[in-house]
Parts: sequence; structure tokens; C-alpha cells
Amino acid sequence: MTSTSKQKSNIMKSTLFAPLLSLIIPGSGQMALKKSWRGFTLLIITAVLAFLVEWGLKYYEIGKMTIGGWTTSWLWIPLILFWLWNVFDAYLLSKQKTAPVIVAVLLAAAVLYLIAWIVTDINLDRLVTRFDAAKTVATKVVNPDYFKVYQNGEYKVCGWKCLWEYVSAKVKGEPAPLVSLSDNVGDIFGRKGTITATWWEKLTRGARIGERIPGFETGKLIETIAIGLMATIFSTILAIPVSFLAAHNVMSHVPGGKVIYYIVRTLLNIVRAVDTVVWGLLIIVWVGLGSFAGVIALTIHSVAALAKLFSEEIEHIDPGPVEAIEATGGNFFQVIRYAVIPQIIPSFLSYTLLRWDINMRSATVIGFVAGGGIGFFVLETIRVGGYQQYAAALWAVAVVIILVDLISSKWRNRILEDKPRAAQKTTWSKIRSLIYIILGVAAFIYCWNVTSINLKNLFNPGVTFGRLLKDFVSIDLSPSVLAGVTKQMITTIMQALMATTLGAIVALPFSFLAAKNLTGKSRFSAWIYVITRGVFNVLRSIEALLYVAIFVYWVGIGPFAGMLALAITTFALIGKLFSEAIENIDTGPIEAVTATGANKLQMIFYAIVPQITPPFLSYLIYQWDINIRMATIIGFAGGGGIGLTLNNYFGSLQYHKAGTVVAIIVIVVAILDFTSAKIREKFV
Amino acid sequence: MLIVKDLVKTYPNGTQALKGVSFEVEEGEFLAVIGLSGSGKSTLLRCINRLIEPTSGTILWNDIDITAAKGKEIRLIRRQIGMIFQQFNLVKRSSVNTNVLSGRLGYVPTFPSLLHTFSKADHERARSNLAMVGLEDKAHVRADSLSGGQQQRVGIARALMQEPKIILADEPVASLDPVLAHSILKYLEQLNKERGITVLCSLHFLDLVHRYATRAIALKDGQVVFKGLPSEIDDKQFKEIYGQDAERIEIS
Repeated sequence: MTSTSKQKSNIMKSTLFAPLLSLIIPGSGQMALKKSWRGFTLLIITAVLAFLVEWGLKYYEIGKMTIGGWTTSWLWIPLILFWLWNVFDAYLLSKQKTAPVIVAVLLAAAVLYLIAWIVTDINLDRLVTRFDAAKTVATKVVNPDYFKVYQNGEYKVCGWKCLWEYVSAKVKGEPAPLVSLSDNVGDIFGRKGTITATWWEKLTRGARIGERIPGFETGKLIETIAIGLMATIFSTILAIPVSFLAAHNVMSHVPGGKVIYYIVRTLLNIVRAVDTVVWGLLIIVWVGLGSFAGVIALTIHSVAALAKLFSEEIEHIDPGPVEAIEATGGNFFQVIRYAVIPQIIPSFLSYTLLRWDINMRSATVIGFVAGGGIGFFVLETIRVGGYQQYAAALWAVAVVIILVDLISSKWRNRILEDKPRAAQKTTWSKIRSLIYIILGVAAFIYCWNVTSINLKNLFNPGVTFGRLLKDFVSIDLSPSVLAGVTKQMITTIMQALMATTLGAIVALPFSFLAAKNLTGKSRFSAWIYVITRGVFNVLRSIEALLYVAIFVYWVGIGPFAGMLALAITTFALIGKLFSEAIENIDTGPIEAVTATGANKLQMIFYAIVPQITPPFLSYLIYQWDINIRMATIIGFAGGGGIGLTLNNYFGSLQYHKAGTVVAIIVIVVAILDFTSAKIREKFV
Repeated sequence: MLIVKDLVKTYPNGTQALKGVSFEVEEGEFLAVIGLSGSGKSTLLRCINRLIEPTSGTILWNDIDITAAKGKEIRLIRRQIGMIFQQFNLVKRSSVNTNVLSGRLGYVPTFPSLLHTFSKADHERARSNLAMVGLEDKAHVRADSLSGGQQQRVGIARALMQEPKIILADEPVASLDPVLAHSILKYLEQLNKERGITVLCSLHFLDLVHRYATRAIALKDGQVVFKGLPSEIDDKQFKEIYGQDAERIEIS
């Protein structure tokens, strides 16, 4: 070693060098000691927290305090402590030890959550003072408007009490109150009324197109189901060719394939980052309000999501059969047809079914912006304060979604089991397949009609669409717009943070109750299991956007209501996922630890907790990703955050600014996705 | 006659799988390729039908320069060379019949093959090849419901569909028990003796080499360390090929 490098290594080895570096720039000492990821994370966290503290002080006066004419935030104190921890950590690292990470996590969390609390406008006061409002809306929600009763010369909603009177009177043979199906049921499911004739009526009944004739008015829920179905069918068909373009192993055999692969992959990621509801805003300028816009918006988003999943399946096939077919002299297309496609069929079918499930849920809310379906219906009912009608719609949605969930998961399990079917097809099974096909085609045609798909409109965009596209890409980057958008974006992120934390904390104890291996044992506790699981499923079946209205009634419009709505869906989904993780633990370690003579609590800590921690963390991150996306749209129902800004800009035709918002959403979602993936990689 | 001259293969990560391999194979020979795992046997076989691109060197087959072939020519060469694999490489979810028919893809035009339309002659070929390996009754069964030995026989039937002049066998019996190993190699021997198909087969067990091969070459670290008759592999040769610590294992 020369003398200068010897000096250098001596300096490096000196225990004060690294901490000194970290004092000036957090994390630099760690990076100098070769712990680059640790150092980099510390640097980023410190920078973000510092920005948030100053920003919080400026816009929300968070932690404001004045020391002798100098205004600052006392949140700097935990941040400084964090900074000092990083110095201490660098010092210990140079001695091959590390500082306790839990301290740093607590300090950072303290700053973050304090700011989040204020930004999401959490006001426990309001929860209590407006509790009466909560009771009112809760009563209305559990008394949905399905029946009406004629009393005192007018129609009123017939709730449980009224129904009970009706049933007991009928049973006793006494005169019963005049109860009938309410008009709301007709709105939701459909009724005999008058419709405008389309080509279908022309074909079947010889009616003139546009004529008003008696017929079945499809209910909003039926429309929703049709929207979900159409979107799934179209997106599957479109996603299949796209997925081959996004599969690395396929594209590398095509000249120029690598470039195509990167372009397609990036496009898919961008499309996926924009929520279906936001796509809805764009599409209505193209084809106008209505179910058709909903179908298109859902299809666009689904194609991107499905193509990504499909392409990953293609990339994971067994290369053996591919080799074998190549070796016989088959060309590119023959290899795809004989070696690739047979391998991917089960997972493609499975993902399509999964997408159907997701599309059904999205279809229930797409109406909020695009019109059509039950989303539009609930918007109208809320506007006139009809919470019982709203509740009726929600309960109906819950039933439909739970059914879709059941069918989808049963079918998926059967497909993924992949048991070989009987070799020869009997005549009966051939007839059965034919019946299914006929039914399928009939359903398709019916749904096509219901969703008013009008291909002519597709090629005849609305007047403002050209302007929208032009303005959209020339985004507005003026400081005032950026500051406003940043503020809303930070609010949105904080909402996701609080909702994930709140939902997960409340879900944790309940998830143990919903784990079959813990509560399914005795007769009594089996009931607890069923009820908890049931609550999770029902709450999960309704999109967060639909819960916002209920919370707005309780705590008023704003980020607080939106955060609470998100927390409910978080609670339901995390509860289910956590309970499944608990059900999947290995009983071996439990046996082993118990055999050593440990007591129950020790057993839980040493045998159960280590097993469930990785999946719990993984599910938390997964939920965080979902919540970030959801948080961007709850503003459409009054839940605060960037959704509101977006809605306003679109509504006032300020497309440049809308473009800015969408661009920022895409960038933020991309960065957060990347971070989550990295965290998953390193820690789970 | 197959002539391999100075074949070199270096992988992008720097691994030198073949460091200048040269040898010749006469028509109708049953050549065994032996050597430790990682000595380059699989790479060598795959270079012959260009599944792997050699870094340098030449492979001449009668008058055709395999290494210089491009595009469609490669496929025309490949369809005359059948290949069977250690992991069988059948398409698990497809039927046995479809797997066998896919051996004919090098001879069938693209469009009908995509629609799974094969000629009557091809269907008859498939039936007779399956009969030859004793699996005619399993034609419509899913490939993954067969046992290992049965799957390898389907692999042989698939290779036979090509009416190949050479068969490359990459450790075809390494995943099978001793009895099955013999039955598979007997098929290959039959094809070699009765139809004159040249066989290049990589094997692990010397007993099988002694029993079935007419000539053998040995690879060590990407280089040929032995060329000759199986009977010439005495203990000294054995230790040179497999290393000082190796011990003979008999499989009978």
C-alpha cells in the first residue's frame, strides 16, 4: 500500500470519520462504510421528513412555536433526535455493531403520524359531538328501502319494525298493513315500464328505432353487472396479444423485440397507475356520459393489468417443451402454439376470473364519474339525502359481489387444480357445452344492449376530445398549480397512511378470531369464526368510495371522512388476509416449543409470531399499495384529497391542470410502487 | 459423417463450457458422450442442432455446414435431427398424440399446424410410432398422467416423427430407475441397428456405455480427454476422466 492510501484507510478506520460524515449528511457515513442501502434510506427519510416538517408548518401550522421572535415547529426535535441516532449508528457501525433500529423507526413514525393526523383533519371531537348524526345514518343504513307501506294516506319506507308487524299479522291471520315492493327496488333491479327501442327490439319485435314501447327497464344493478361482464370479456381478448409483446422471453426472439418489450411494458405501467375512475373522466369527453363510457374506462385499465399478469405467466413457463419443439424444426409460431400456449391456459383463465371479480367492484363505482350503473344511482340518491335508498343499493351490491367472489374463487380453484379430465367426451357433456355456449352468447348480446355500446360513437369523438388531448399533454406547471396539487397529493398519501395503520390495528385482534385453527374448534367459538368472517366479507364487498357518503354525514366533507372510509375497507381486507396467514402456519414449531415446557404466551411469541410476521408485513405493504390508489379517487365523493381537485379541473374543462394532476399521480404511484417492492425484497 | 472441429462455447457470464472440442462420428454409430456434470456434454449436444450458438468452430454434416446455416436453413437441418431430453420436455397439458404430432412440425406448413390440422399420413405416422414404443392405447391421455419411463418413450416417438438421420439424446435415462434405463436404451439401440440412425447419447453410467455404445468420447472441463472404444476405458482412463476421487458404480 502506498502511503496516501494507507493514510486513507487509517482515516476510514478511525471511529470518528463515519459519524462525522453522517453528522453533515445523514446516511453518508453508512454509505462510506459500504452499507449503501442503509445510508441511502436514512438520507431519503431525513430529507422527506425535513420537507414535511417545513411544509406542515407553512400550510397547516403544525407544531408551531415561537422562540424569541423565531418561528419554527417543535417537530424538529424528534427529527434532530433521528439525525443524532443516524450519527450514533454510523459510530457503532464502524465498530461492527448497529444501533437499535426500533428507536429510529419510532422517531420517524412520530413525525410522520403527527403530520398525517393534522393533514387528514382527524378530529376526535367531531366523532363524539356528531355522534347523533352517526346514529341517524346508521339506523338508515340498516333499514334499507326495499318495501313501502301505505299509511295515513302516504307511502313510507317499510323498515324492520314494519316488516315484523306485517309478517306477524299475516301469520296470525289478522289484517296486515299494506306493504309492497318499493319503487327503489324497481330502480335497482328493473321493472316493467317503457323503453326506447334499439336494434334488438327492431329485430325481435319489428319496432322502429327510437320508439317508446313497453318493455323491461333494466335496473341499475343489472346495468352494473353488464358493465363488469363486458369489460372483462373485451379486456381479456385485447390483453392476450398485448401480453406476448410484453413477455421478455418471447420478444427476445423477434427482431427489434427488446425495444417493443420496453415500450409496451412502460405503457402498461402508466395505464395501470391511473385509476379506472380517472379514466372514466377522460372517456366521457370521448363518448359521452353513460354505461358505454364505463365499459371503455374499465376495459382500458383491465387490459393493462391483465396484460402484465399474463406476460409474467408467459415468462415463467417451463422452457423444456419450448426447447423440444424448437429441436424438431418448428418455427416461432409453431413453438408458441404447441409449447407456450398449452402451458399458460390455466393461469390465463384464472387471472381472467380474478379480473372479473375486480371489474365487478370497479363497475359499482365507475358510475360516479362516467354515469351508468349503480354508481350513478347512488350519487343521485345522496344528492337528495335518500340514505335508505342508498343503503338498499349497497346491500344489493354486497350480495352480488359476494356471489361473484364465491363463483370466481371456486372456479379458479378448480382450474388451478388442473386435474386431467376424462379422455373421451360423452354426448351429454357435448350437449352441455353447447348449452353453455348458447347461454353465453345470449348473455353477451343482452349485456351489449344494456350497456348501450355504440361503436359509431367510438369513431366519432366528442367535440372537446381533441382539445382535451392537446391540453392534457401540455400540462400546467405554474407554481400555484403545483403547490396546490402537491398539497392535495400529500394529503392523499397521508390519508392512505392513516387508513392503513388504523385499519390494520383494529383488524389484528379480529383476524385471530377469524382464523379457523384458533376459533373453529368448539361449538361456541365456531359461531364467532363465522360471524367475524361474515363481517369481513360483507364490508369487503363494497368499494371505499361508497362508504364515503356515510362518513360525510357523520364527520362532514373532507379528508377525515375519506380516511375513515378507506379504513373500513382496509379493516375488512387485512382482516381476511391476516386470518388466512394465521390459518396457514405450521403446527410443527408450536409442538416443538410447547414440548420444551414453555407457557402459552411464550409459545405465541416464539412459535406463532415469527411465522406470521413475514406474511403480515407483506399484506400490509399490499394494502398500502391498494390504499394509495383508492385514496386518489375518494375525493369524488367528498372524501378530500386529490380526487376532488381532479374532478374540479375536469368539470371546469381546465384540461392542462388535469393533465398535471394525472402526471403527478402516475409519478407518485410509480415511486411508491418501486419503494414497496424494494422493501418487500429486503425485509420480507 | 458428422465432423466437429475446434468447437468453442463461452457463455456471456464468462463460463467456458467448450474449449475447442474436435471429433468425428460415422453414420450408424452409437456414440456415448461421458463426463462429469458441467463438463460440457449438454452444451455440445445442443450446439449440434444450434439450440445453443457456438462461439467459434465448425460442425460439418456430410456436405452441410451446420455452424454457417442461417434462418430457415437451421430449421431444415433441425428437422432431420431428433432430440430427446433428460426431463422428457413433453407439453404436460397436451395429449400424448399432440405431443407426438408436434415432432412433425418441421415438415408441416405453419397455417394448418396452428389449427392443429395434420395430414392423414402424419396421423398414421404418429400411430405407428406410438405403437413402436408400446403406447398406442395412451394416445389421447394427458402427457403428465404418464410415468417417467412412459413419458420418455413418448419423447422417442416424437423424435421418430421427424424420420431423423441423427438422434441426440441428452442424458435420456438420468431420471429413470435402472430397469427403465435399460428399456429406453434398448429402443435407441434398436433404432440405431435396425434403421441406421446415428445416435449421440450422453450417459453417466459406464455399464450402459459398455453395453450399448459402439464408440465413446469423454469430456472434462470442456475438452475431449478420451476418444475410442468403450472397452478401452480402463481404471486409469476412468480416473483421468472423472477425477482421482471417483469410484466406479455398477448398475446392472
